[in-house]
Amino acid sequence: MERVRNLFKKKEAGIITIFIIVMIIITIGNNAFLSPANIMNILTTNIVMGIAALGMLLVIITGGIDVSIGWVITIVTVVIGEFSTKVGGNLFILILVACATGAAFGLANGILVAHLKLPAIVATLGTMSIINGLVLLVTNGKYIRELPDYISGLGQQYLFKVEMAEGGFYGFPVIWLFWIGAIVLTWFVLRHTLVGRGIYAVGGNVESAERVGYRPKRVLTFAYVYTGIMAGLAAVVHTGIVRIVDPLAFKGFEMQVIAAVVVGGANVLGGYGTVLGTTIGVIFMGVINNGMVLMHIPTFYQKIAVGLIILIAVSIDVVQQTMKERRMVKVDIKD
Amino acid sequence: MSVLEFRNVSKSFPGVKALGDISFAVEKQEVHVLIGENGAGKSTLIKILTGVNSADPGSEIWIDNKKAEIGSPVDALNLGIVAIYQDFSLFDNLSVVENIALGLQVTRQKKVVDWKGMRKKAEQAMKKVRLEADPDELVANISVAKKQLVAIARALVYDVKVLIMDEPTSCLSQGEVEQLFEIVRELKADGVTIIFVSHKMEEIFEIGDQITVLRDGQYIKTASKDNITIDELIELMVGRKVTYETYGKRKMNEPVLRVENLCKKANFKDISFELNKGEILGVTGLVGAGRTEMVQAIFGLNKPDSGAIYLHGKKITIHSPVDAIKHKFGYVPENRLTEGLVQTQSIKRNLNVAILEKLKKGVFLSDTARSKSAANWMEKLSIKPVLPDMPVGKLSGGNQQRVVIAKWLATDPEVLIVDEPTAGIDIGAKEEIHRLLRELSDGGMSIIVVSSELPEVISICDRILIMKNGRIVAEMGEGATQEEILNKAVL
Repeated sequence: MERVRNLFKKKEAGIITIFIIVMIIITIGNNAFLSPANIMNILTTNIVMGIAALGMLLVIITGGIDVSIGWVITIVTVVIGEFSTKVGGNLFILILVACATGAAFGLANGILVAHLKLPAIVATLGTMSIINGLVLLVTNGKYIRELPDYISGLGQQYLFKVEMAEGGFYGFPVIWLFWIGAIVLTWFVLRHTLVGRGIYAVGGNVESAERVGYRPKRVLTFAYVYTGIMAGLAAVVHTGIVRIVDPLAFKGFEMQVIAAVVVGGANVLGGYGTVLGTTIGVIFMGVINNGMVLMHIPTFYQKIAVGLIILIAVSIDVVQQTMKERRMVKVDIKD
Repeated sequence: MSVLEFRNVSKSFPGVKALGDISFAVEKQEVHVLIGENGAGKSTLIKILTGVNSADPGSEIWIDNKKAEIGSPVDALNLGIVAIYQDFSLFDNLSVVENIALGLQVTRQKKVVDWKGMRKKAEQAMKKVRLEADPDELVANISVAKKQLVAIARALVYDVKVLIMDEPTSCLSQGEVEQLFEIVRELKADGVTIIFVSHKMEEIFEIGDQITVLRDGQYIKTASKDNITIDELIELMVGRKVTYETYGKRKMNEPVLRVENLCKKANFKDISFELNKGEILGVTGLVGAGRTEMVQAIFGLNKPDSGAIYLHGKKITIHSPVDAIKHKFGYVPENRLTEGLVQTQSIKRNLNVAILEKLKKGVFLSDTARSKSAANWMEKLSIKPVLPDMPVGKLSGGNQQRVVIAKWLATDPEVLIVDEPTAGIDIGAKEEIHRLLRELSDGGMSIIVVSSELPEVISICDRILIMKNGRIVAEMGEGATQEEILNKAVL
């Protein structure tokens, strides 16, 4: 019981509460929502978002933001397309190439933010526009098709595949391993590595971080490079699912990622945010999008609803915080 | 044997020589007080010692009679040079455990954090400083006094040889200062050498062994506390003889402001007093007595639950600082760094920010009016250097304080509330602020001075209100002494 109570004191409590309420509403609206097939569908649809959000989480904890993430993922998918069709290789090499490409763009962002001290939003807006141009230059705006099997078949691979008598099958999608791997890795980095704690330290108080011996520039650069690596991984998974490279697939993606991270309890001013919260945030946003489709709500209303839900979720968090501050007694008045 | 020695330490910033050829030694196990006016070079010297800044070529720091290379904070920490900063330098977003012990992991350059070891270290240090708190609580959620203990505990996890304490008592109440000194004495007995930076004379003589005076980036003198008096020290610090001015108590009988039964839950209770025209009313008491909360209520920054405020006998309602300014109130907050000034903006802009209405010409701000007004106030309050376009953050503490006061004087207030007007500024600047406040009151302004510094309150105030646990417990006038006030505030 004590455990449960502690869980509700956590920052994630607000979002979990709304999450449950929303799930109940959707289930009443359409009971297909809770079918295993639909739940698997929601998770699979949001893997790319989930992985990208883990990268964004690190940057947001440092107090920064990376609006170039959508276009970094795009350019990595282009590299994946070009590399796999022209060079060949295998999945392992492709993952390395993808992550290295992402890391390179992340490094560019990191240098701009950490060393040249540009505001993160300005720096990443700049790189975003440059990458946008590069992508269109290379692809001419056209799809890259006919990718080798090892990548285009990735989304169809399952572990423990069980055929059902009535046709169809159940199994554990291999691409889920990418998400799970990214979650575990990010959790480990943030919770158990010195640089991970440094990300919180720098996000909380740069000057103090420097005084205890951190090098804030390195820590910041690491956060952006890590985001680049996650973008690379996300690009691999995305390509494995959609099997083509679409130069415009990630337009506006960065805002969805940022929204998911913020809904998951991270503070855009830096210092706060968890892997658990972010992952719940991603799934939550996925559930809402899916649920509104199931309830046949027109697209325009969906956008409005998503916006409202973001505001409500974040407001609950802020109100909680204010109440907590108010409860802190300033002066002990003795009667 | 000297544990630490500065040899010809200099530091130049572009265009400024912050430190020039500082040389002195600190003996093992002593409390070595570093004293000097703001801008004397204390902070620069500490930054060099802790590896945050690097000294000019030719400067040498010797530790245990060996030349030390301090190129980064980690180097300094590995040498056992640890600092406790005035602002605590804590991470509000991290737990108590991590605040205390994370730094040790950083200096050991571990890649993976040892949480168990951290907790053990942290709990030992907490015990040492008698900090009772949930180790997993975020530092944002603990009280100021406990934060101070966290900051001390953090220093103790290192293998401390030289502990630097930068104005450690500035946020503490009397009782907490005693507790801190207790810890300092224990550390000293354990063989730690302490460099103690402070402005407060009583403290210096209570805790210090040797005292080194810096002035304008130069080394002036090191003396044993037994061989020097406060007057001599002050003279060395300011370079001229300062007489601590005591102003007479004036009797006034023309109430401007009357506060009746002001209450706010968990802040203050039954606050009633009058303020006369041309009077300086002191409000003192321990930190946490509710003084700031109370004056902020008058200025509309802290909504009271009940009670009434009368101006010239007429009841007024103040919901926000905008209302308060309309009624000709001015408020100089305690923390000029975060509340009083926009540090990155120019002196001129800071001076004008409260009177933009008056500087309008048509719908636009008049550039000439702005420059004129700024120049006028800079001259009136002798704010130096006279560079209106310089960012305010680059001024010394005393000058910054004058800018905050000038900003409010420009609004032509009838009632001026100043919260800790001389906190963290040097003695010379303090005296000038005192004189300024007296002049303003002579000109008919009514002033409320909130201050923890008793000599200050006694010196400049006509009447003194003493607060304790959110209530006014006594009022004193002629003949008030520090002992009496302290008695009322504590007992």
